[in-house]
Amino acid sequence: MTSGADFFTITIRRRTRWFWGLAGLWLLLEVLFVQTAVASVGEGEYRAATISWIVAGLLAAFACFAWLRRERPHKNRETSAQPQEASTTTPAGTSTAA
Amino acid sequence: MEERRRQTGRRAFLMAGGFVAAGTAFGSLWAFMTGAGAGSSARKRARWIKVVDCPTLGEKTANYTRFSGNDMFALYRPLKTQRDGTGSFEAEQASKAKRVSAWIAEKKPGFSLPDIQLSEGAWTLMHSTKPGSGLLSWTRISVRTPAELGTPRHTAPPEEMASIVKSAARLYGAGLVGIAQMNEAYVNLQAPREDEKQKDKDIVFEDVDVPSVSDTKFVIPTKMKWVVAIAIPMDLDLLSRVPTSLGDAASALGYSHSAFVVSSLAEFIRGLGYEAIPCVNDTAQSVPFAVDAGIGELGRLNKLVTPEFGPSVRLCKVFTDLPMAYDKPVDFGLVKFCRNCKKCAEACPSRALSFDDEPSFKTMGPWNNPGHKAWFEDSYKCLQYWQKSNSACGICLVSCPYTKDNEAWIHEGVKATASIAPAADPVFRIMDNAFGYGKQHNPEQWWTNNSQSGRRG
Repeated sequence: MTSGADFFTITIRRRTRWFWGLAGLWLLLEVLFVQTAVASVGEGEYRAATISWIVAGLLAAFACFAWLRRERPHKNRETSAQPQEASTTTPAGTSTAA
Repeated sequence: MEERRRQTGRRAFLMAGGFVAAGTAFGSLWAFMTGAGAGSSARKRARWIKVVDCPTLGEKTANYTRFSGNDMFALYRPLKTQRDGTGSFEAEQASKAKRVSAWIAEKKPGFSLPDIQLSEGAWTLMHSTKPGSGLLSWTRISVRTPAELGTPRHTAPPEEMASIVKSAARLYGAGLVGIAQMNEAYVNLQAPREDEKQKDKDIVFEDVDVPSVSDTKFVIPTKMKWVVAIAIPMDLDLLSRVPTSLGDAASALGYSHSAFVVSSLAEFIRGLGYEAIPCVNDTAQSVPFAVDAGIGELGRLNKLVTPEFGPSVRLCKVFTDLPMAYDKPVDFGLVKFCRNCKKCAEACPSRALSFDDEPSFKTMGPWNNPGHKAWFEDSYKCLQYWQKSNSACGICLVSCPYTKDNEAWIHEGVKATASIAPAADPVFRIMDNAFGYGKQHNPEQWWTNNSQSGRRG
């Protein structure tokens, strides 16, 4: 979003199916490993709990890293087709972004 | 600027809420698909446990007949004498007794006096009875019969009767229950002797109305066509401390619990107006009945492995003439898993378990009943290790990847995947080791860590 003197330009980027698929898989694995970590303590399996916490932590770190870099154009993608974009201009302070 | 910050905050909140909801949905879906959360009292089993017409290791030859009933405990002494010379058994027992005393004195973890007496205490119920008498009486103990209550005996369609009996068994403490057809080939020829001076008592089928026990024989009425096969899960928190006396307490408790369950169920069935014979390890082979009743499959340990509790169960059964719908055997991919895994065979300190890739008809000694396909075990080596370790071992039970507490959903996911995709079995075996499953838990911690024992035992 860029701001001008009297208006904002809002860019709505539609996420691809790959993105949502990957996000779903990540969420599933994250939930699974956190649940395993918590339950393994109850089972008395402390090594399994430690490993599960490490895997869950790594998954969370990966997600944070990917989220922070989400706006950066990929090297190989600079010349390829860009994701679908739609731009709209609205008066300042009346954003229509979802 | 203020407005923008407020909108961004709302969006982040909504997104977070959406992700949490999606996560919960995924978790629920996962549990639903794989049957996670299906505890011991659940009536419906997970969808990945397939019902089949024949047991996975059901191949039998004409050699398969009624077993002598001489189990390894009866055979060990003569075999020891035969292999290591006269007096070797007595010398072994004397050295064992000396070792036990020394371990108690030095408070060896898992063999202190409280550890040993915990196991002894857990045996109480089982040791206070014997086949055909006491709790395991083949005739009514105290229940009032329908005739005494002035009513005819209870009748219902076979499916309903099976449901009633299974519900009662679960209430009394059964982890898994199934109904199998009586197969005389699974019934022992003789009851074990209580002492060496006694004569063998034959177990016979006769066309009589009520079961009976005399000085010479045990009589099972031929009208008893139904067998209620029961699996009692052992306390995994205790079992994970094997091979120690503390670990033995899990087995002991399993046996006492079995005696309670079968005697209660037998009385319940008698109260409905039918005959019932409660048995723990005695009278017949529990494993084939449990396989036929769909409680589990025969694994590499040559023991029953259940999908829910692995091999860490005690089996018992009740013979009856109460007509019920039979259950069918199950296939959850165990035999294919066992072909690759071999974790129990590697973990066995006495090398008593088979490393063969395929099950065969080749037995290992007179303790095996020939004529059926299995991975036969060397029970002599197994029992020899029991003497050395002053315990009933049980390492193979704990090392099996199917022995899990099932609190973590991932166990259900792994078992479900193994049942449909055997190609992933080697990966699961590696993961099981990497996560540290099957390793001995510190026996000393059991008394102090606010143990969770009692959940499964």
